[in-house]
Amino acid sequence: MVINKITLLIFMTGLLSSLLIAQKKVDQCYNCHQSNGDRQAELFKKDVHKSKGVTCADCHGGDATKADMDDGMNKNAGFIGVPKGDAKSEVCGRCHNSSTEMAKFNSTIKSGQLEDLKKSSHGKLTIKGNERIAQCTTCHNSHGIVAVKNQASPVHALNVVKTCSKCHSDKSLIKQYNPSLPTDQFENYQTSIHGKLNSKGDANTAECASCHGSHLILPAKDVKSKVYFSNLPKVCSQCHSDVSLMQKYKIPTDQFEKYSHGVHGVASLKKGDAAAPSCNDCHGNHGAAPPGLESISKVCGTCHALSADLFSSSPHKKAFDDKKIPECETCHGNHEIVTATNQLIGTTPDAVCIKCHTQSENTKGYYAAAQMRKLLDSLTTDEKDAIRLVEEAEQKGMEVSEPKFKLRDVRQARLELRTIIHAFNQEKFAEAASKGFALTSEIKAEATSAVDQYYFRRLGLILATLIISLISVALYIYIRRLDKKKT
Amino acid sequence: MKERITKNLYKWFDERIHFDDIIKFAAKKYVPVHSHSIWYYFGGVTLFLFIIQVVTGILLLLYYKGSEDLAFESIQFIMTKVEFGWLIRSIHSWSANLMVLAAFIHMFSVYFTKAYRKPREITWVTGMLMLFLTLGFGFSGYLLPWNELAFFATKVGTDIAGVIPVIGKPIVEFLRGGEDVTGATLSRFFGFHVAIMPGIFVVLLGIHLILVQRQGMSEPMELENQQANARKTMPFFPNFVLRDLLLWLIVLNILAILAVLFPWELGVKADPFAPAPAGIKPEWYFMFMFQTLKYIPAKVLFIDGEILGIFIFSVAGFLWTLVPFWDRKTMRGEKNKLINYLGIFAVMYIILFSILGWVL
Amino acid sequence: MVYKQERRDFLKNILGGGAVALAAVILYPIISYLKPPKVKEVQVSSVKVGKVNEIPNESGTFFKFGNKPGILIRTASGEFRAFEATCTHLDCTVQFKQDMGVIWCACHNGKYDLNGRNISGPPPRPLNPFKVIIQGEDVFVSKMS
Repeated sequence: MVINKITLLIFMTGLLSSLLIAQKKVDQCYNCHQSNGDRQAELFKKDVHKSKGVTCADCHGGDATKADMDDGMNKNAGFIGVPKGDAKSEVCGRCHNSSTEMAKFNSTIKSGQLEDLKKSSHGKLTIKGNERIAQCTTCHNSHGIVAVKNQASPVHALNVVKTCSKCHSDKSLIKQYNPSLPTDQFENYQTSIHGKLNSKGDANTAECASCHGSHLILPAKDVKSKVYFSNLPKVCSQCHSDVSLMQKYKIPTDQFEKYSHGVHGVASLKKGDAAAPSCNDCHGNHGAAPPGLESISKVCGTCHALSADLFSSSPHKKAFDDKKIPECETCHGNHEIVTATNQLIGTTPDAVCIKCHTQSENTKGYYAAAQMRKLLDSLTTDEKDAIRLVEEAEQKGMEVSEPKFKLRDVRQARLELRTIIHAFNQEKFAEAASKGFALTSEIKAEATSAVDQYYFRRLGLILATLIISLISVALYIYIRRLDKKKT
Repeated sequence: MKERITKNLYKWFDERIHFDDIIKFAAKKYVPVHSHSIWYYFGGVTLFLFIIQVVTGILLLLYYKGSEDLAFESIQFIMTKVEFGWLIRSIHSWSANLMVLAAFIHMFSVYFTKAYRKPREITWVTGMLMLFLTLGFGFSGYLLPWNELAFFATKVGTDIAGVIPVIGKPIVEFLRGGEDVTGATLSRFFGFHVAIMPGIFVVLLGIHLILVQRQGMSEPMELENQQANARKTMPFFPNFVLRDLLLWLIVLNILAILAVLFPWELGVKADPFAPAPAGIKPEWYFMFMFQTLKYIPAKVLFIDGEILGIFIFSVAGFLWTLVPFWDRKTMRGEKNKLINYLGIFAVMYIILFSILGWVL
Repeated sequence: MVYKQERRDFLKNILGGGAVALAAVILYPIISYLKPPKVKEVQVSSVKVGKVNEIPNESGTFFKFGNKPGILIRTASGEFRAFEATCTHLDCTVQFKQDMGVIWCACHNGKYDLNGRNISGPPPRPLNPFKVIIQGEDVFVSKMS
């Protein structure tokens, strides 16, 4: 029996570390299989399990203390040979699903992975109905399993992408399970900043498991999935809000903070609006990268199409391109996009126009901005006046459902006006504004007439009361006279 | 010229109608004058308000639609789109409430002055029946706008009838036109309100008025024993009629002010599937009964509390209607203090429980 | 005596004139009330939008449902569909765009397919549908029950 020095070393460390465990098991199976040059036994030599004192029989059954093959591989002693189907994972789960079992091996890693796997997409989809599509061994291998932190592990940060792509880049395989699932994740990933750094050997960058989780991987549409639209920002921020981690890459860490205060973050995180963009909607999923200068307006334009269209045919398009400044972002910001107010446009200190247009520089735009702001402001005030008048009439108990209905149109006109700003065309803007003004004056007239009607009613009452009172008094005098005459 | 035309016109009608007879009859009529004369006017006020109800009611009929889908909207339409629709509807609602009030005052004044005694038993009974009908008008009319409050008040109101043993359930079904308050109930109440009840009411009113004219005003008992020349009177026409007219004008004025300054609200459209809103209260004139039913314990001995309450109110109403027939002392011309005490008790009871109902 | 007579006549004039004025005050509202109002009577639980043969294929017709606008779409195959014409993004009124074959919101270029589903632009939700009822020649729209 040849005992390799390394094996001896491992054996010795194993022995030492297992001193707390009752006794060191003798692994007769390994002894024979290894001496026979068995490949599995050879791989098992480096296995973390072996170092913890797990024997072949612990997974394959039988009696590891018996040197005799018939005794060791006796079915009566529980020998099962190579586990088939789901039994493969059940074998792992015997220990990895139980914290007490894990404690026996003095292990600090968490348990419950098999339970997670069973709940995941990989655990729910089956091959021919009798075996889940991914077993523990699919990713972790069966013999020669090493710790995740170990570079040799197929699920090590630098290897996991390849491991996942073994299946996920296999078009014919994926088609069998989910024809609509893309298979280009790996290629996309390679183009992303994450992927580039990863392939350069930076284990800190995001790989598959960083976003999707390891055992409990769920489809993106599942509300419990880590990449569900409203969970995703938190997942990205795990790294991107980590100051010490991001220091190396010299990028800011306030994106999540900003995003969650912006309109999109509020819509997605607070209101649960599935249509609101999450991180991936602008940065991409697997090919995550900041949108380039040129593509910002395209990215925003996927939803804000009208504004993007108007902008690209506006005089600003060329100016922005020449100056190499990003389109939407320059005025609206990126992660913390707040609802645009009227103050954004114009020549007041908080307006964005004055960044380029001043009284002495690019003056045409300066005056146009001032004019547009004036129109927008006066439409806003007009709308408020109209609302106030309608409310006044309503409070007086007058029927104003008609002008109230029209108030919606004013609001619409104002929203359209705000959109038309992006054309940066004074004429178009004035035209859109006049539509709104026509509406407000109409509503104001109607509401005013309702208020007038209220006073008309009061006046009518006074008139009627006066007449009735007059006759009453006259009648009273008449009756008094009548009585006097009689007596 | 002008006078000649008037004279000729008068002559033309006189030859056909013979005004003299009517004038002679009216001129011979005298109304007693005494410290309780004021109560004579409340019958007239009730009549005036009834006339207003008929006129405004007919006007409302032109635009109202008595169906579940359209009832609420049609009243909204009347109040907003039809010129003066808001006024007509507001007057109809206010006048209804004032009419109930005037009718109650009229009834109690007749009761306390014991004017129901022979020979006016029929006048009393028809009057009481009209009072019940007036309450019925109020109850059925309340539902017609098909708003939330009315819907649930009707539900509760008709539910109460349902607790009566044996006949309760058929009565509820008759009132509701089915098991629940639905569009069928609305159609039914509409029918009651504008056709059946006015028909009966007009017949009763005719009898009531003819009898008042035939028999004249009743005098309080203490005056009956006085010498004929010691009694003060005034001619029915024109003195009393003009006084009536004056009061009507004042009532009209009050009504106009109430209707314009405190327009009757429409509320929210009824939704049969919505939970009942808090603070469902019946109209004020049903409040004392509603409140009583609340106070009666669930079980009195072996009888159900609600049944007992309904039973007591039914018997009380019945006996009240028949008071001329069992009040033997008054019949004999003696003073009957018991009647006064009962009356005072009833008035106090109604006032107290109505207040309790509104405050609590 | 003559003086008293005059006063009496004056009183009678007041009474007569007052009676006429009172009659006017009472009759004016009543006559105004009887005048048929300009607006058609309301029907809100269902609205008649038009006649089947007057609404062309591939068209959108607006109607007022209660206090909200609605849109009746007739598809190329002649099918009717009705929605609340309120964009689910910011409540603008949407319209039918024949060239694009979609329901379109002018405010931010939101698009819905003819089933009311939001297909592009900012709208977060589909349009609220109405029920379309065809009775003989008439097209009615009512609330989804």
